[in-house]
Amino acid sequence: MSSDYDQIRNKLKVKHAQIRNDFSSNHPHIEKYLAEKGISLSKIREHSAKIIGAGALAGALLLSPPIDMKALPSPEEIIQKLNRSQESSPDLPQKILIDALKSSLPTKTQPLNNSQEKYLESFLTNITGVKVKATLEGEHLNTVYGLIGAEQHLRRYPGDTLGQHGAGDTLEEGIAPGLGAWGYFASSYENLTPGLINTEKWYAVVQTLYLPNWNERAKYLINWYKYRKVLIVDTDNGNAVVAAIADSGPAAWTGKSFGGSPEVMEYLGGPKYKKGPVLVFFVDDPDNKVPLGPVDYNKINMSEMSLVQS
Amino acid sequence: MSKLFYDKLIVFEEIETEIAKVSQSKEEKEELWQIVDEMIHHKVLDMILRKLPKDKHREFMDKFLAAPHDESLLDYLSAKIGDDAEKLIKKEMDALASEILKEIKSNKLV
Repeated sequence: MSSDYDQIRNKLKVKHAQIRNDFSSNHPHIEKYLAEKGISLSKIREHSAKIIGAGALAGALLLSPPIDMKALPSPEEIIQKLNRSQESSPDLPQKILIDALKSSLPTKTQPLNNSQEKYLESFLTNITGVKVKATLEGEHLNTVYGLIGAEQHLRRYPGDTLGQHGAGDTLEEGIAPGLGAWGYFASSYENLTPGLINTEKWYAVVQTLYLPNWNERAKYLINWYKYRKVLIVDTDNGNAVVAAIADSGPAAWTGKSFGGSPEVMEYLGGPKYKKGPVLVFFVDDPDNKVPLGPVDYNKINMSEMSLVQS
Repeated sequence: MSKLFYDKLIVFEEIETEIAKVSQSKEEKEELWQIVDEMIHHKVLDMILRKLPKDKHREFMDKFLAAPHDESLLDYLSAKIGDDAEKLIKKEMDALASEILKEIKSNKLV
């Protein structure tokens, strides 16, 4: 007897074939046109990735409207504001961040261009104290500005259950029936280290499957992305968390670009938070010193901050 | 990066949830995502080409293949079709989502 997966897969494949046949019979001239161009509609995302990738390399501004860079305070202005406010308002770094992003980012999430990303790298590094990069070791996410959605807990070892994932509101999301992109975190309960417990607790989901060269470089990229740290910043409230990439997704047709573990989502937006706009940057942490979890940047020591724009 | 001009109009979250329920691995999940994705592309283009005057098909396809991410294509389509392209695509996608969910959920009754 076939599994639920097999049955659903077969049904969807039948429907898929019907839709393709309808397209072919309704528009044979377009089928011919696409064949002449050597492009399949089924591979249109790959084609889009190539077009955008080529434009980005050429430095073209592909996606509009651009954010107003002048609206963002310069690194020098940030430190001046923070120094002035350290005694009067302990919450000010977060307020500066929220105000700056609200006045400068597009209202709808979208990919940003290279200069916008470079500025935000510097801005976020300066204000949160976490060194971040949009492009790290040559790798770049599909977008740094998108919607994040709530994910479920992931099974950490064979036999893991929801009840083993702590207590409270975060259990309400449940546990995913399948495994994360890298399978179990540990081969058994005995091999589950505190570090791996923390990795599942503070995990992020990114769309590795839509990276333009994923298929050609899968072997390298699978290792590179495994538990790679990212800084996630909620652009509505400024809450920030460092998370480890532990799954692939969401699907492009969900409207979302990222996912967060129940703990990530609760920290970003509270127990009922299901979806919202975020910035996601790689954490530049070659010595593995940046801890996973919330970034309380209102308590950072200003004297240790580097405010030189890279 | 991958983006299509109609991506923002499609939010199939319930389908994603149903797929997650039956997929045991990343590979299984991504295979079903891809099947749904391909259905979307064919349905959206089919609807557009049925609405668009035939003498504009080639012009549209040239624009689409040159910049599949360009959301100004929605304005172009609205002008050429004489109707709100966003609404037409959303309506088509709502119907597709219902059909896919019907297929998936009927499985549970077997």
